[in-house]
Amino acid sequence: MSDKPVVQLDNEPKRTWLAYLPWLLLVVALGGVFVWGLRREDPNKLESALVGKPAPAFSLPVLQPYQARYGQEFGVRGGEGKPIILNIWASWCIPCRTEAPLLEQYAQRYGDKVLFLGINVQDQQPAALGFIEEFNLRSFPSVFDGRGRIGIDYGYYGVPETFVIDASGKVLLRHAGAVSEADLQGFLRQVGL
Amino acid sequence: MKSGARAGRLRAVPFLLPLFSFLLFSLAQPASTTPPPDFSAEVFEIARDLRCPVCQGESAGESNAGVAVEMRRIIAEQLAQGKSREEIQAFFVQRYGDWILSQPPARGVNLLVWLSPLLGFAALGFALWRYQAAVKARSRRSAADVSDEEIRAMESKL
Repeated sequence: MSDKPVVQLDNEPKRTWLAYLPWLLLVVALGGVFVWGLRREDPNKLESALVGKPAPAFSLPVLQPYQARYGQEFGVRGGEGKPIILNIWASWCIPCRTEAPLLEQYAQRYGDKVLFLGINVQDQQPAALGFIEEFNLRSFPSVFDGRGRIGIDYGYYGVPETFVIDASGKVLLRHAGAVSEADLQGFLRQVGL
Repeated sequence: MKSGARAGRLRAVPFLLPLFSFLLFSLAQPASTTPPPDFSAEVFEIARDLRCPVCQGESAGESNAGVAVEMRRIIAEQLAQGKSREEIQAFFVQRYGDWILSQPPARGVNLLVWLSPLLGFAALGFALWRYQAAVKARSRRSAADVSDEEIRAMESKL
């Protein structure tokens, strides 16, 4: 064996680090996409297609405990003259149980300035009445939409879901999942309270 | 000889019988693509191109979630009103956005996703072309291109 250093057979010009720059940029770009994907607040979050548009009007049968005050049918018809916090719920939905007492509490406090309205979807009336009884929901009415058709009009993809509608009847935002106290305070700020 | 063969056949019966019964059971299962009799096949065809809002990776045609069933009912009603497939799709897009379509239209950021396989193939083709060119260039090198130093190094090894 010769003790001479191995001679490079390749007499192409030596590559400088600049030749690798595109690859480096590619790796950095892919890494950036990866980090962005990880840091997104909630990958399942979807902007409602209704934001900024008029809230779909509806009129549905009022659940029995609220009929004395709201009549047989009630809903969003436009021209309520005050903001609406529209809550879609079902008695079988677990997160609905955590937000129900909060909604009741806020409806008690702000019910004169904001219309709190529940839509009971994909449910049976007796179960819904049991839920209302259990959480003693007295301060805001709920209407019954057994098949969830109005839910589809609002583009819902699960319960609970809450829509904030301003006094002119325009949808301001959609909140998917149970609302927290901070969420509710945020909604009230959005409608100018 | 003949009776022996028949006995062999008879001996196979205890094994074949369960096999046959399993076959019959499998035939009793409705094919998964058969729509339940309540809606026409067209309803399911349209529903299959719409996502079920509450499901993960299931279409409104496959899911039995309440929303999906209601979506099929809406589709059936709109078909009965004489609406076209496009009009029904537009109805859902208006409420859910392009998200509801299992094949969102190729525009905006979506376009990038649609084009990514082509971009990938183009990049692969470019890399192959460069590689081939480099190999060809190396094979075309003449003796004059080899430095004396290299020749000496090779000779010392021989």
